[in-house]
Amino acid sequence: MNIAGNIELKQFLAGVKDGFPIFLGYLPIGIAFGVLACQYGFTPLQAILASALILSGSGQFVALATLAASGSIAASVIACAVVNLRYTLFAVTLSPHLQGLKLRTLAWLGHTITDESFAFNSARIREMQASPQSMMGLGTIAWLGWICGTTIGAIGAQYVGDLTAFGIHFAIAAMYAALFVALANNRTQIYCGIVAGLLCLGLYFLNHLGLGLPVYWFTVITAIAAATLFVLVIPDKGEPLGHEEQIEAARLEGAHLRQAEADH
Amino acid sequence: MELSPLSIYLLIFGCFAANYALRFVPLAVMSRLNIPRSVMRWLGYMPVAVMGALVTVEVLLPALDAAFFPASLAAGAPAYSIFLNPGIFGAAVSMLLFRYTKSFIGATVAGIAVFALLQYLI
Repeated sequence: MNIAGNIELKQFLAGVKDGFPIFLGYLPIGIAFGVLACQYGFTPLQAILASALILSGSGQFVALATLAASGSIAASVIACAVVNLRYTLFAVTLSPHLQGLKLRTLAWLGHTITDESFAFNSARIREMQASPQSMMGLGTIAWLGWICGTTIGAIGAQYVGDLTAFGIHFAIAAMYAALFVALANNRTQIYCGIVAGLLCLGLYFLNHLGLGLPVYWFTVITAIAAATLFVLVIPDKGEPLGHEEQIEAARLEGAHLRQAEADH
Repeated sequence: MELSPLSIYLLIFGCFAANYALRFVPLAVMSRLNIPRSVMRWLGYMPVAVMGALVTVEVLLPALDAAFFPASLAAGAPAYSIFLNPGIFGAAVSMLLFRYTKSFIGATVAGIAVFALLQYLI
């Protein structure tokens, strides 16, 4: 294997290692989906196929629930898509960092976009430690976690018992908490995250007053509102934004440091 | 409820097509465009805003439900005081641990452990 291929493999494996918490977090939800799908008359193979192709926790549950309530395939597909409209926002947000990649690379990266992979990859992009290969590795291990969970739920639910006693259903929430800290790396970013959270609280109380907005809308509405507010209120300081700009800034900084060293 | 194999496959492939289009099309189109700086700044706020919202939805809202709206809880789900909620403590431990160790797996596992322990104790 050539050197470039070796580096790519290393980055892919780094992504796999990085994504292991997602693998863990997906197991219990995947198990729950496998159990439920089989109760609705899916064969285990169909449940696993659904998870491999759709890769969406809330979307898959909503599709099943809609099918049970309405009996309409079209209504279920539409409900699943509506719950997952946020994936479009995630894809748009990641796209500046994926400029000029081959379509077949994007074909797999796109498929593995979920809340969790989006958050992890965003955190690594911010640390300048993400590459298309690491993102593919992370997406692949997350996808496998979802498939493994579904498989266990579909064929072995009776052997698993109740995992909630071990708190494993809290894995996703614990991961989100750590990811928030990873992403909130300066004061403006921290405030922006807090504003989005406060807006969620606002929607929650409006719901208790009778608004009736499904919770899966909270994320996308409040994130768009908070980001829009901050981009309008906070002045542009000319900081590097795109992937290439950031690399160039890091290179220039390195050159400055070397120059300062030489002068010294 | 009985579903025919055909309707199950239609459901699976219909959801696949819809989700894949939502994910792949914007990625394929936007990664080939020059994105204006103002849009880039907007997108730069997006990850942290999404995480702020997700932490609130996954941790704070269930804690508020458990403390103030017991009627909204699923059957058998425990009610907790807002000051002694396993989820809030678990998330706080995850945040602190990540802040000092930068380890996602460590922070996640510690958060789960604290959550499970408090769930058992309270």
